[in-house]
Amino acid sequence: MSSKPNIKELLIETSCAHNANKKNACNAPTPGATSGGCAFEGAQISLFPYADAVHLVHGPMTCLGASWETRATQTSWKGRDFTQMGFTTDVNINDVIFSGEKKLTGAIRYIVDLYAPEAVFVYSTCVTALIGDDIDLICKQSADKYAIPFVPVHAPGFVGSKNLGSRLGGEAVLRHLIGTKEPDDVTPFDINLIGEYNVTGDMWQYTHLLEELGIRVLASLSGDGRISAIRTAHRAKLNVIVCAKSLVSLTRKMQEKYSIPWISLSFYGKRDTSDGLMAIATALADPELMRRTRELVEREEARLEERLQPYREIFSGKKAVLNTGGNKSWSIAAALQDLGLEVVGTSVRKATEDDRVKAREYLGADGVLMLNPGAEQAKLIDEKGAHLLLAGGRSLYTAIKKGIAFIDVNQEKKKSYGGYTGLLNLAEDVKNALENPVFSLAGRSAPWQK
Amino acid sequence: MAEVIQNKKLKTLQVNPIKLSQPMGATLAFLGVDGCMPLMHGGQGCASFTKVYFTRHYSEPIALQTTAVTDVTAILDGGDYSIVEAVKNIHKKVTPELIGLYTTGLPETKGDDIQGVASKIDCPLVYVNTADYEGGLESGWARTCKALIAQLTRARDDIDDSKIALLPHVSLQPLEVEKIRDFVEAFGFRMVAVPDLATALDGHLGEKQAALSSGGVTVAEIADLASSSIVISVGASMLESAQTLLNKNPFIRHWHFPHLNGLIAADELVKKLLDETGFSAPPAPIERWRKRLQDAMLDSHFSLGQTRFLVAGEPDHLAGLSASLYEAGGKIAVAVASVDSPQLSCIKADKVLVGDLEDAASLAMEYDLVLGNFHCEMLAHKLGKAAITRGFPNWEQIGNQLKNDVLYEGGAYFLFECANTATYFRELQGHKPEQTA
Repeated sequence: MSSKPNIKELLIETSCAHNANKKNACNAPTPGATSGGCAFEGAQISLFPYADAVHLVHGPMTCLGASWETRATQTSWKGRDFTQMGFTTDVNINDVIFSGEKKLTGAIRYIVDLYAPEAVFVYSTCVTALIGDDIDLICKQSADKYAIPFVPVHAPGFVGSKNLGSRLGGEAVLRHLIGTKEPDDVTPFDINLIGEYNVTGDMWQYTHLLEELGIRVLASLSGDGRISAIRTAHRAKLNVIVCAKSLVSLTRKMQEKYSIPWISLSFYGKRDTSDGLMAIATALADPELMRRTRELVEREEARLEERLQPYREIFSGKKAVLNTGGNKSWSIAAALQDLGLEVVGTSVRKATEDDRVKAREYLGADGVLMLNPGAEQAKLIDEKGAHLLLAGGRSLYTAIKKGIAFIDVNQEKKKSYGGYTGLLNLAEDVKNALENPVFSLAGRSAPWQK
Repeated sequence: MAEVIQNKKLKTLQVNPIKLSQPMGATLAFLGVDGCMPLMHGGQGCASFTKVYFTRHYSEPIALQTTAVTDVTAILDGGDYSIVEAVKNIHKKVTPELIGLYTTGLPETKGDDIQGVASKIDCPLVYVNTADYEGGLESGWARTCKALIAQLTRARDDIDDSKIALLPHVSLQPLEVEKIRDFVEAFGFRMVAVPDLATALDGHLGEKQAALSSGGVTVAEIADLASSSIVISVGASMLESAQTLLNKNPFIRHWHFPHLNGLIAADELVKKLLDETGFSAPPAPIERWRKRLQDAMLDSHFSLGQTRFLVAGEPDHLAGLSASLYEAGGKIAVAVASVDSPQLSCIKADKVLVGDLEDAASLAMEYDLVLGNFHCEMLAHKLGKAAITRGFPNWEQIGNQLKNDVLYEGGAYFLFECANTATYFRELQGHKPEQTA
């Protein structure tokens, strides 16, 4: 039987609020007016953080050549970190004509012999999907031969967006890994972290708090994840989705199949981190755990509050405009508010219905939800007298023209903004931006300009 | 001369590749044309990956669109729908001077006839086939350069004696193209580079949203290119493009340089320019820089002479960097090229191979300093080697567009950087407690 997932079903995820009124959630991309990554990239984002598995991309050079070693997803895995390595069959014209299956089989043998991974993920791509290479069969035969899991990932770029690819990645894990092994022991407070990729060590900003509360992360998809752990994920008491709408399909199916309830939350900013910890304790429904969590939250908030005090004085009366996408449209807004900044507007152009509701909630009635930020943000800065623009690199010139501080929120992050302590990193960056003279100097007119 | 080793029989995959794809090279080439919209014909991911890749390398917004082929259009469309639709949608927002249409592996696999589709499109457009299952970054750039000349340049039989065309290989950074132009123009010529990243991706502050490429050679300049008296090609990958231009005018002469790095290559260029102009000596600043390079070679020879190098990257780039190091006594222990090229047999290295960074890592005992892209820097870090970052991508450092290793001036700075890095690293090694014992 083919392990190809039902794409149509994934496109109409009933657990997504924005799909309530739609028959077809994710429209085909418009030629000549499309930005954003493909399904393969989405699968890569959701699965590559498994550092103990080799990720073999069966395709031509663009797919992996342009994308390996691009994400700062961190791992505590003591073995070789395969996340930061690139493996590809680099198919050539002969393979396109005569099939690339032999090459793939050879590559698998080479990898198993030399690298002894815990598992191998095999990704199909547009070209190898089109020429019909049977990665299902090769994975099955390889799993029998080498006695480790082989996971075929059917997310060739042309099937859709990054978001769909993440869902397809989750689907592959559900079909081929979850439930294939029993854990050594179980506790009443076992959870899975879903959609947390540990970029710049984000999850380590809060996992020590979970540990202190006695909550055990049984498995993760896929930040600092282990293949042996995700295989036992069906025994968790709760699935926790961290900032990733795309994996709702996975958690819904796990609920249907294994009766594991799921919650969705964010660890971005003080309030979200506190709310998140409380939500986990509440979902695990243990009064003693809830009491412990309340205490811990109070302690951490007080500790953070003290360290934030010097920043609050600097930030008091400062106004920020935010132009980013998805859940960041409200999660960064919340974090900025936690620092004492006033967020006067945020872009919701690329946000889902859920995200828009949340953004409104955080910004209040006076906050502006921008639908066309490219045109609106400059006006908004003038009207509200904003001091800071947080946006992608393209908006830099807007900030310089207005002579206000700028933070590139889409830049590849080097340090974590997550959890309680991450907020201090954000505070430091905001402070540095506000104090930096470059934004007014860069826009200074030349001596010969009238 | 070292034998070029091809490792393909034992290994049917790339592990930690340095190879990059043809459509990525084509993207850069089109970005070197003013007011151009590069339009990649393929799935949306190819364009997205490429855009992010070069945005990070140059710290600049990159203009790029995609025909966004889906699973459905992959089967049902011969390219007509997605390309025509893409061109229409691009024009809703901007009016490009040129659309640069190029393919990826997906439409090439199904056999789209982009020439046929292009003929139906009523706006300035250049098309080129750049499947990513063939060639690499260099050939994608070179094929695009050739297509620009073949499809835009008007044939003629008159010559402008003061005009020289420059066809630079892909690895020359924007400032290097500018330095070559300044050098040649100091002899009284006017130089037109195709493609020209010097004025496009040189990292200048402009009032732009990167809707289209800004800066670069104009479509009109490419159309008039055949009035050049001389065409200078730099890099083996650019020979075909030069031939294409020669075919447009029987009176153009061709000067080819495998690279323009180091004393000998720069001398060769000066010799030709002197012959051409009848000058007895180059302009004073050039003479001055030559003396500085000679001095730099002497100052750096002690450090470089005891340093064994791994160089990794595109063939034309490797040839230049290796030559520059070799002249000051640097020992090229291993050269790893992304793809095969006639250049490779000319590299003065103990070992030359076509391969990846896994191959490079397996030879770790043979070199001290790694010269290559961002991934090489990571490799050096893991192996405990010194590293200097050159080539695509460099995501770790800023200022790539203003790096200059060519001719006398760039060569001097390059040798200093290599010698200083090697010395510093040896001192660090020397201070390790286990080694002082």
